[in-house]
Amino acid sequence: MASRVSGRRDTLLLGACVTLSVITLALPQAVRDPFAAAMRRSVVAPLLSLQYNAELTRRAWEARERTRAERDSVVLAAMTAPELERENARLRRMLGLGRRLRWGFVPAEALFSRSPGEEYTVVLSAGSRSGVRQFSPVVAPEGLVGMVRIVDPTKSIAIVWPHADFRVSAQSADGSAFGIVGPHLGDEPDRYLLEMRGVPLRTSLTPGTLIVSSGLGGVFPRGIPIGVVQRELRTSEVWANTYLLRPAVLPADVSSVMILHPQRAGSGVQGVWDLASADSVAADSARRADSTARARADTARPRPARTTPARVDTSTTRATAPVRRDTARRDTARRQAPVRRDTAPTRRDTARRDTVARDTAPALPVTPVTPIPVPRPDTVRRDTNPPPP
Amino acid sequence: MKGIDVFRIMIAFGLLLVLHYTLRPLLAWRSSPDFLVIALLLVSIRVRPGSAAIVGFLTGLIADSISIDGLGAGALAMSVVAFGASWLKAVFFADNLPLIAFFIFLGKWALDIMYHLASGNLGGGELAMQLLVWSPLAAAVTALFGLIVLALLRPILRTSPA
Repeated sequence: MASRVSGRRDTLLLGACVTLSVITLALPQAVRDPFAAAMRRSVVAPLLSLQYNAELTRRAWEARERTRAERDSVVLAAMTAPELERENARLRRMLGLGRRLRWGFVPAEALFSRSPGEEYTVVLSAGSRSGVRQFSPVVAPEGLVGMVRIVDPTKSIAIVWPHADFRVSAQSADGSAFGIVGPHLGDEPDRYLLEMRGVPLRTSLTPGTLIVSSGLGGVFPRGIPIGVVQRELRTSEVWANTYLLRPAVLPADVSSVMILHPQRAGSGVQGVWDLASADSVAADSARRADSTARARADTARPRPARTTPARVDTSTTRATAPVRRDTARRDTARRQAPVRRDTAPTRRDTARRDTVARDTAPALPVTPVTPIPVPRPDTVRRDTNPPPP
Repeated sequence: MKGIDVFRIMIAFGLLLVLHYTLRPLLAWRSSPDFLVIALLLVSIRVRPGSAAIVGFLTGLIADSISIDGLGAGALAMSVVAFGASWLKAVFFADNLPLIAFFIFLGKWALDIMYHLASGNLGGGELAMQLLVWSPLAAAVTALFGLIVLALLRPILRTSPA
């Protein structure tokens, strides 16, 4: 009986609640709003304050996250900005090179191979359809990059100068010394350097001398910067000097290159690279020298001061080397004999220099680096006066 | 119910009320947990259906006063749900976690259905989307949070021996 009464009371209470709710719902807006406002100002005020503070906290948190994201974006942009600036500068130099070349070249993207044994080859995004041929020179605004080896219709593969098979006939920018430039196949710190071999003994190249392609051999046209003399190398060669060069183009910088058509290479590239500012080229090369070169310079042993590095080092080596007397005699004979034999290359070189002067002197104004050869006294003696007693 | 039990229930109810107006705005999910429903069901199963209806009506009025329109819709829905929960408390006393979660799920979904139908703030496809997609999702989230709350408040909600 009691449960029935209480059940009826519960039902009545529910009915009352529902009725009140329906009445509240049915109230006109003008009556409902003051009622709700009164509740918000009294009973619900603390809850509203809580909700407001929670909302503020959430917004502050979101603003913090947004600020952090913006800061990260700014930092990321700041990190990539120098790289973009370098890339832009390089692309501008590429455009400048294209403007100076005018014709007979193909721009290409260079992708370095990462597979073992192919570290010194690049895949170029231009092939025979673009006029690329085998042995086409690959150049960059800074100088010589390499040579095309394999040509496909749309792609080609080139070797870059650190490749063991790379050779280029070279000369100093002023034409006073000739030689063959190839990669320096030493240990790691010096692996990304070049060697200029076969430089006549009579010629001395001072550090900082710009070396360019000589045009001999018919593959690379004359006047493409190759590198800058760093120092002389001590080798077993007796009749010629070998110099270590710092390359004009670093492989890490090679992302886009120009491939010269055979006709363009044949017609020469005089005036394309500004060899007049050889010092600036050398400075640029020095600036872009990688850490390995710096490490090599740091670890180099101190050597005695010398006026002409080639001759002094060679003589020191010969003087201190434990050789037999007859060997020494033969060495002396060799050292005297080549003086006459040197004259022949000297004449040839002179002839080349004359040719150079006639053909390219206006286009390639060079800064003299080595002193002008002085006429030998024996020649004077033969032609004029008898030798003094 | 003893006075201490009433006090404990009031503490639990207050805690859930505060959570509703602090944690819910912080989460700001599209389907947020409804701590008011959890609080209401917790109280409803411990009181008579008539008292539960009154608690539901007052809680609904509090909730409605904050919303722009629909004053009375929440009160109506919560009254009915609280009365139903109290009437079905025998099921809830089974102390079976999945059953409790299902009970909270049904309570929240029924509340949403009644509220949106009574307030008339949505219509057509929007109402269908709300009642068939978002409300069940909110009910599921509420059920999940209800289980967590029950587990955390178990020491408070334990009934004193007679």
